[in-house]
Amino acid sequence: MRGRPPAALALAVLALAVVALAAGCGSPAPSAPRPAAEAPPGGAPFLATSTVTAAGTWAVAVMGGPVAQENNFWQLFVRPAGTSRWQLVTPPGTADNGGLVLADAGGSLITGFRPSQYLTYTPLTLTRDGGRAWSSTGPLDAALANVPDALAAAPGSGHLLALLTDGTAELAAPGYTSWTTLTTQRSLAATAAGRTCGLQDLTAVAFAPPGTPLLGGSCGRPGTTGIFADTGGSWRAAGPALPAALAGQPVRVLRLTSTPSGTVALLTAGTGSGASLLASWSPDAGSHWTLSPPLPLHGAGLSSASFGPGGSAAVITTTNSGQIMTGAGSSWLSLPPLPQGTATLAPGPSGTADALAVHGGTLTVWQHVPGGTTWAKAQVINVPIQYGSSS
Amino acid sequence: MPGMNSGINVSDPTVVAAFKAALVHQGLIALLIFALVGLAWITFRVWLPAPAPGAGPAAEPLAAAAAEPAWRRLLRIGFGVVWVFDGILQAQPKMAVGLPSQVIEPIAASSPRWVQQVVNWAGTNWSYHPMQAGAASVWIQVGIGIWLLVAARGPLSRLAGLASVGWGLVVWVFGESFGGIFAPGLTWMFGAPGAVLIYAVAGALIALPDRVWYSLWLGRLMTAGTGAFLVGMAVLQAWPGRGFWQGTAQGGAGTLAGMTGSMAQTSQPGFLSAWISAFTTFDEAHGFAVNLFVVVALAATGVVFLSGRPRLIGPVLAGFTVLCLADWVLVEDLGFLGGLGTDPNSMIPFVLMATAGYLAVSRTPAAEPAVPEPAVAEPAAAEPAAAAPGSGWRDRVRLARNRVRPQAVRRSVATASIQSVASVGAIGVIILGAAPMAVAQASPVADTILAQSIDGSSNPVDFPAPAFSLTDQHGQAVTLASLHGKVILLTFLDDTCSVDCPLIAQEFRQAGQLLGADTNRVELVAINYNPLDTQVSYIQAFDHQEGLTGVPNWLYLTGSLAQLQQVWRQYTIAPPEILPAGSMIGHGDYAFVIDQAGHMRQELDFDTGPGTQATKSSFAAELTDAAQQLLGHS
Repeated sequence: MRGRPPAALALAVLALAVVALAAGCGSPAPSAPRPAAEAPPGGAPFLATSTVTAAGTWAVAVMGGPVAQENNFWQLFVRPAGTSRWQLVTPPGTADNGGLVLADAGGSLITGFRPSQYLTYTPLTLTRDGGRAWSSTGPLDAALANVPDALAAAPGSGHLLALLTDGTAELAAPGYTSWTTLTTQRSLAATAAGRTCGLQDLTAVAFAPPGTPLLGGSCGRPGTTGIFADTGGSWRAAGPALPAALAGQPVRVLRLTSTPSGTVALLTAGTGSGASLLASWSPDAGSHWTLSPPLPLHGAGLSSASFGPGGSAAVITTTNSGQIMTGAGSSWLSLPPLPQGTATLAPGPSGTADALAVHGGTLTVWQHVPGGTTWAKAQVINVPIQYGSSS
Repeated sequence: MPGMNSGINVSDPTVVAAFKAALVHQGLIALLIFALVGLAWITFRVWLPAPAPGAGPAAEPLAAAAAEPAWRRLLRIGFGVVWVFDGILQAQPKMAVGLPSQVIEPIAASSPRWVQQVVNWAGTNWSYHPMQAGAASVWIQVGIGIWLLVAARGPLSRLAGLASVGWGLVVWVFGESFGGIFAPGLTWMFGAPGAVLIYAVAGALIALPDRVWYSLWLGRLMTAGTGAFLVGMAVLQAWPGRGFWQGTAQGGAGTLAGMTGSMAQTSQPGFLSAWISAFTTFDEAHGFAVNLFVVVALAATGVVFLSGRPRLIGPVLAGFTVLCLADWVLVEDLGFLGGLGTDPNSMIPFVLMATAGYLAVSRTPAAEPAVPEPAVAEPAAAEPAAAAPGSGWRDRVRLARNRVRPQAVRRSVATASIQSVASVGAIGVIILGAAPMAVAQASPVADTILAQSIDGSSNPVDFPAPAFSLTDQHGQAVTLASLHGKVILLTFLDDTCSVDCPLIAQEFRQAGQLLGADTNRVELVAINYNPLDTQVSYIQAFDHQEGLTGVPNWLYLTGSLAQLQQVWRQYTIAPPEILPAGSMIGHGDYAFVIDQAGHMRQELDFDTGPGTQATKSSFAAELTDAAQQLLGHS
């Protein structure tokens, strides 16, 4: 019929055009490049750690159920000095789905509860008797950063240094109710030391003896270590120089902490499959450093890093490999295959280590002796997880 | 998507009972509307004498040549029935609370963000006023359906078509997320481009002027449009990489089998579930063949419709109808089962539209008869003659004014046909549904029914509230006696709580905002419910977290552990429980209303429920209402 073919043809062409558009628009989008790892809600696994104080060895690990259902609860354990048994000493009173961060204040241990769900500030609590009793202090009216070294206490004065999620470093005197800004990532990046580094973010806070605030971060300029010391209001570069082989690599400070023998840092040099891990020790607020040999990570990251007596350190990679070193200048030693579910390691003297493995609400402690090829089960702790209490 | 889910159980007895009561109430009003309209019609017919022969409007058209074309009648009656059916489906008990979260939100889940935001706006509004929204959907759709059924011709019939277009588009956008056309997996088999869009198209055709009803090009346009659409759907179905050519994929069901497999799990008669399961199994084994069949069938049907030849379209239409019915049963699972089905999905509308197209090209009369506008009576012959075309706006205005004179209106009513009267009744039913929802939308606050469904209603009490002497967030001493003269809304909040206490604080804050000018006559008071973190610094941090710092009538009180324990005892609230292993403090949720003389007047169980936007707003409204009652406002 007159007029029909062109109209019908036009309609058919239009329909095909719409279909092509629909097929393109409605098709699943191509996968986006994987973003850099960031802390998931509920505290990153990297918060799992152990540290040594005068009271004993402390360990933080997440237990329970999935993060998505707010059934993950961070637990604090202590192995009192001179004993071999671990005890559950998680501070009460605040839901810790966001993670726990520790600070050794000499005669006491301060624990910060990272924000979770509608809790957006940081309650603080303190124990002076190895975790048997806790007393409320603070709070920090801000969100603590999602890193294990977000809190540091100055030996002697007890001043507390906190790293916030927005890159601000704040300082408070004991009592911890009045906080002042020490610096911000932006301000530090604008200093001479910060410009030399090309500071991108802050990842750790610490105090070097006799109470010098230290900040650690990531440098955009290759070959520069982003550790900074506060010298009476001005910031100087205080990180180790890298060996020539790593001089062209970007460096990130993963851990920065004070021990009785000085300051210890864990650094990654390089990125991707070429990244390696270095430990470094300084007895004098960063003026001098001793570096470990680099440990190639073969593209893996770290899920836990811990420090023990005598400058010892232990790490767990994301490929579930355990490495330990006994002190300043020593080499990395591979541990036997880790027990399933190992959340963190607690290095001991002379290359010994405890592996704290988690399965739901059960913590199993495995022990390793130097030269051994296996782990020996030493202890089991059933933790009374209050499932659903944060829902 | 935030906001859309009220969080209430879709079968909550309080909400279901309220919804049923609202529907019954409005149903009676609907009957009353029809009764009154009918009574008025009868009355006017009795009062007014019959017009003299030759004077007044012509009688209802009797000539067969003026009959409504078959295709239009099919669409009008078919979609009228479907709209009524859809309206009845909207009356299912779960609809009031369940539609946004169980129907709308899942449909929008795979659509782009902007679609979700559009849908979320409507869903949130629904969640705030579920009774009114649910009832509105019932009566609007029933009203449109009745209107289409009774108004066969004339302006009222065309208006019914436009109403179908309007409401159909509203449902297509907000209820069907634009028919899912922006989401992956679009296919005719699952209902693309959205069932309600077909309702709207049908409504547009019904709304066409009479003069085009019998035009040849309209029939061709309808068949060509249907054909082009089916050809397009065939191409889409055949498009590679969309998962329809495989019965299984990566060890699991393919796209079609996955959909039908989940359909088989929904609540429905056993035999139906068995058929769908059997089809799923067949598709998993022969996915390529099934899709090839569908592609060929759609393409062939589309090409035939594009040809516009009735002798070809007729037989193909029969096959297409069988295909549609098979898809309706085996793939779409009838669309309306499970307690939250909103419509019979797309296949019935497709069949109606395709059949109407066929009728339009196969039964078009040779001549186009002159069809007078019936039913709505013209003014009497004594009235000034109608303005000739082009005679100017003044004449048109005079004519319009003549039409609305009381005498002319009475005559119009008296001479109106029963279909016109029924149409007016149907319009009244639509207004019955739309008006309460429109009024509810004017309020930014959710209905208190949500709060009552979570915690029930409180019983009134009247006894002196226990005294307290504590310290506020500024470090100042505060006693109950110092607050005399104001209504007090009181609660107990754990200052390090991560779940419900922040929600309660927000509800109190919102209640304070709703009080408006009464703010200075009401005090919002919280007492610390944490036995460990009792310092003023902690309640200050909580206030900062909740944006309560600087709220003039907000007090957050704390004290020593002994002082707090005494207050908890006196107010008979469960003592807080220190729980192990990283848990927050265990505690209840309470709210109290104390009058200006210090007497306790209400004790509310204040469990926040799911803490959605709708429930928070509802709890805030409950607090505000309680305060305003004591202030003397109804």
